[in-house]
Amino acid sequence: MNLSMLKCGEKGKITKIGAIGPLKRRLMDMGVLVGEEVKMEKVAPLGDPIEVIIKNYKLSLRKKEAEEIQLEAIK
Amino acid sequence: MSTMTEERLQGSSRAALRAEKKAITVGVAGNPNSGKSTIINAIAGTRLHVGNWPGVTVEKKSAIFEYGGRKIRIVDLPGTYSLSPYTQEEIIARDYLIHEKPDVILNVVDATNLERNLYLTVQVMELGIPTVVALNIYDEAEKRGHTINRRVMEDMLGVKVIPTVATKKIGLDDLLKSLLEVAENPSAHCPKHLNYGDDIESAAKMLETQIGLTPLAEKYPPRWLAFKLMEGDSQVSGEIKPDDSGLSVSKAVGHLKTAHDSDIESIMADARYAQAFGLTREVLQKTESGNIELTERIDRIVLNRVLGIPIFLAAMWFVFKLTFDVSKPFADWMSAMTAGPFKGWAEAILGLIRAPGWTVSLVTDGVMAGVGSVLVFVPVIFAMMFFITFLEGSGYMARAAFVMDRAMHTIGLHGKSFIPMLLGFGCNVPAIYATRTLENPKDKALTALLVPLMSCGARLPVYVVFIGAFFSAHAGTVLWSLYVMGIVLAIIVGICFKKTLFKGEAPMFIMELPPYRRPSFKSLMIHTWEKGKHFLIKAGTYILAVSILIWFLLNLPWGVENKKDSYLGKVGQIIAPVLEPIGFGNWEAASSLISGVIAKEIVVGTMGEIYVAKPEDEKKNPSTFSEDLKEVGTSFVHAAEDSAANVFSTVGISSLSSKEDEKRAGLKAVIQKTYTPLSAYAFVAFVLLYMPCVVVAIAMRQEFGTWKWFGIAFVYQMTLAWGVAFLIYHGGKLLGIGG
Ligand SMILES: Nc1nc2c(ncn2[C@@H]2O[C@H](COP(=O)(O)OP(=O)(O)OP(=O)(O)O)[C@@H](O)[C@H]2O)c(=O)[nH]1
Ligand SMILES: [Mg+2]
Repeated sequence: MNLSMLKCGEKGKITKIGAIGPLKRRLMDMGVLVGEEVKMEKVAPLGDPIEVIIKNYKLSLRKKEAEEIQLEAIK
Repeated sequence: MSTMTEERLQGSSRAALRAEKKAITVGVAGNPNSGKSTIINAIAGTRLHVGNWPGVTVEKKSAIFEYGGRKIRIVDLPGTYSLSPYTQEEIIARDYLIHEKPDVILNVVDATNLERNLYLTVQVMELGIPTVVALNIYDEAEKRGHTINRRVMEDMLGVKVIPTVATKKIGLDDLLKSLLEVAENPSAHCPKHLNYGDDIESAAKMLETQIGLTPLAEKYPPRWLAFKLMEGDSQVSGEIKPDDSGLSVSKAVGHLKTAHDSDIESIMADARYAQAFGLTREVLQKTESGNIELTERIDRIVLNRVLGIPIFLAAMWFVFKLTFDVSKPFADWMSAMTAGPFKGWAEAILGLIRAPGWTVSLVTDGVMAGVGSVLVFVPVIFAMMFFITFLEGSGYMARAAFVMDRAMHTIGLHGKSFIPMLLGFGCNVPAIYATRTLENPKDKALTALLVPLMSCGARLPVYVVFIGAFFSAHAGTVLWSLYVMGIVLAIIVGICFKKTLFKGEAPMFIMELPPYRRPSFKSLMIHTWEKGKHFLIKAGTYILAVSILIWFLLNLPWGVENKKDSYLGKVGQIIAPVLEPIGFGNWEAASSLISGVIAKEIVVGTMGEIYVAKPEDEKKNPSTFSEDLKEVGTSFVHAAEDSAANVFSTVGISSLSSKEDEKRAGLKAVIQKTYTPLSAYAFVAFVLLYMPCVVVAIAMRQEFGTWKWFGIAFVYQMTLAWGVAFLIYHGGKLLGIGG
């Protein structure tokens, strides 16, 4: 499962970042790393982008980008 | 006293500085939105742009000031999350740090977000340049129940760590003292080597030794260079061609790769984060403050799935409306004054010195009319800048981008593009300046190209005259159709441009949403003024020049009786045939359209001049100077009252002025004879689309540093305007409407 599939309020632990090149690097630079915990916070009113909480701050990204981030759900 | 300077301190001037007593250079690096520009403003007395969203500063800016008897040159850099070479901001920041080697790096850290900020600190430390860390926004960190042990942090990093609150000027004196101390004794404040683990360290050691044998060691910090080569950093590899220098990178990283089964960039990122995580764990103490934060509460409403869009639209409508209602009375006052008393005074003064008639006309119809048309913009611009500054400072800007991104994405734009587009309905000029909020050059250019399709306030007078003459029964609908036409065309043109000029990957949307903050009144005023001033100076000079030019064109050769024989008239005659197929192939229309390049409302003014014979010098009762002065004063007071009243009654379009002067009435009559409803509609559509006005052109030039984008806008808009007018005129004829 990937980050775009989480429902609001759900959490996951990152298992893999599928993106390559600048997108991957940018995600890593902003703290999106394997092993990190993410929480789905909000979905924009038009369904895209999404807002997640990672490393204690709010990050927004498009679903297309979120699809590259694989997770395992945590309760 | 401080002075803003460009990056030109080279050669002789640099030598001169050194001779005096060398100025200390401080490079300010840190995450976006960590308060770098705020700190510099506070310590150097500058007025750098600040805003509560990531990516405000996009180019490096420097300031010089004195402290403790030393000259300090401080350089503001764009905020970055790392020192990789992927975004424009990162490249600017790291090029500066590596190639210009500041004496001290001031690393500004957002204390509320320690771990992610320290990830950059760790990278800055790789450079081996003496560093001071400012733990900024410490007030908010404390409010959240965070405390940071700076002593432990100093021990672990080997550099000075100073808590600061830039907005309240707390800790800045300590910060300045530390900067001086470090500059005096740099070797004592070099950052420690953080241990990235045996695998990485041994590979780096191997490369470092090799680098030490080459001249590269002089140019680059060796440890940093070794890391970049290991990561396969595209920019560095391009600059130094490691194979030519005899560096065996692949050998060095071979073991690392097999041991970790991952790419080196990820391995390095993990190692750096491990350091940042370790540091944070040691120095940060959290006591959870149970209450939900303000930001949380606001976002629950503002980003609500159902209410989000309506709230956003309402907020924008409100800003838009308020801008115009507040500024309209002042704008009217300005234009009345320039056309009335000020003009009268100029005439009187010129009369006194017995200036010839043509100079009087040049000054009043050329210069003053030109100045007047700039002044009329002033209240709108300032009002608009005020609201933009507020939105920027509050943190809502980032939310607006978040809410609108989906819609804007379909036409190839970024969520942030929505704001300039919306502002465009008021006036295209501030809208072009507002594209500054877009960090990606592609987005910025495309947005600027589409902004002129938003029907601005200056086009309204033209619509009003023509709609009044032909469509008074359906005025509202026809007016609305023009605005919608602009929007629909912007969508179509946006998609076309995306498929051609701006082909390729849509830029990514990965953005931090900062907490809401309350901008201080003082900073609101300063930044509103800075933005408005910019417009005043530049636009003022250009618009003046063009107004004078048009005056000459309309009055040369000397003593032309019939405007048809003036240069403008002659050019009009040449252009007229081009306009023939779209329904208004007469020189009067052509000449008026040319004059409209200054500002579109001038089309109406020129038509008045051309079509309607000058009313016989109706000698107004000459007013005395003191009467005039009183008039200026009282009408200003009225304007202020109206403006204040409008704040509370922001409904109804006040711009459709009911007071109509006789000239306009005469003009309507003539227009009714010369145009058919169909050609009239084609004409207003043409006015909507045909080209950005001079001020917009200047704004584009200023924002992009080249005339290229204006050129493209000019060409596509002309083509579009002609095509659309043609379709309207001939399509209408075919359908047998209003032929
Ligand atoms: N509460 C608080 N807010 C601060 C402090 N310092 C800066 N700010 C606010 O933080 C926001 C960002 O400030 P800027 O100076 O624009 O940040 P920057 O680091 O220059 O950002 P970029 O140019 O985008 O890299 C503004 O809204 C400031 O008012 C502080 O010490 N405390
Ligand atoms: Mg800044």
